[in-house]
Amino acid sequence: MPGMDEPVDKVAQRIADVAADCGITLVASLPDGWITRLITQFDRDARFRHVAVNREESAIGLCSGAFFGGIGAFALMGASGFLTCIYAITKINYTYQIPLLIGVTLRGRPGDRAKFHQSNALYLEPVIRSIDMPFVAIERGDDIARLATAYRHSRVLSRPVVVGFTREVLRGEA
Amino acid sequence: MNFEACFRLLADRLKHDVIVTSAGNCSEVWWEITRETERVFYLEASMSLASLFAAGIALGAPGRTVVAFSGDGAFCMNPGMLLVERQLALPNLKHFMVSNRCYGSTNDLPHPFGDFVDYSAMARAAGIERVYSFSTVEGLGQGLDDMIRVPGHAFAVLEVEPLGRHAPSPPLDGPEVKFRFGRYLERTGGRPVFDAPLDPT
Repeated sequence: MPGMDEPVDKVAQRIADVAADCGITLVASLPDGWITRLITQFDRDARFRHVAVNREESAIGLCSGAFFGGIGAFALMGASGFLTCIYAITKINYTYQIPLLIGVTLRGRPGDRAKFHQSNALYLEPVIRSIDMPFVAIERGDDIARLATAYRHSRVLSRPVVVGFTREVLRGEA
Repeated sequence: MNFEACFRLLADRLKHDVIVTSAGNCSEVWWEITRETERVFYLEASMSLASLFAAGIALGAPGRTVVAFSGDGAFCMNPGMLLVERQLALPNLKHFMVSNRCYGSTNDLPHPFGDFVDYSAMARAAGIERVYSFSTVEGLGQGLDDMIRVPGHAFAVLEVEPLGRHAPSPPLDGPEVKFRFGRYLERTGGRPVFDAPLDPT
């Protein structure tokens, strides 16, 4: 893609490449300031159908149905939005054992400058643990390949798996 | 229109389509009338996500018609679903919103919004072009083929009376619904669904 020479662009490209290689063709997203470039990448990339949803739960519903359409799907959102999805995840994905890969921003880590995200972020990882959802942190560039591992694990486990991106990795600084 | 008569007509006419029913009366009455366990996904607990769940299925199955049922309680929780449906504009997605003006799955507690909200107008305002409203079984019988068989995303409001009784939920656990439904789709020409190879290495 022309004009993609910033670190943040290269990271978005790498994430998209890993997603495409593991069979993801549908991305449903709601923005977080950290993932705007990544969302733009998915939206522009012909390997994906990107759907901008009205709320994060809608991404859970759409991507869960896509499993039955034989489509590899990725629900991408911010940490706060993820926390609004617990009901949808437990009721749909846990009740019916439907795999789903969810990508979130790892808000609240040291380096997150947004004060208004801290209160939610304090409980992000404890909430993920409390519903026994496998969690894969993507904290360095070398971790990006773990997106594919997480996707496959979701399929094997027949449950959702969440991957969390740090600010540094999304900015190409780690 | 009478809830059961409405669903009897739909069950009689939608014999070859993929069905997604939402929690409560939609799932209960469809199950009571049809006892179907293959082409129906009883999404018993989704609170507003049935139509987008159906949209995901429809995305991967362009040759099938996928019919979603939502209740008015669910619809009011997430009317923005219409915006996503409009954006997707899937020609094989048909969405019925069942307006019984009560929470049918919780003892018919009144649902107050239907008395002053025009759901069809909401759908049109969301940009959906093919919007239907049926308040009689006769009208539904006459308009159903146009809604279902003419390609193009369509949304319909079904104005029904409260069921007025408890109906049993489908006696199926979640994984049974998943495998019956997924295997049905695979067996009838759909893309592979259960595709994760358990590579021991």
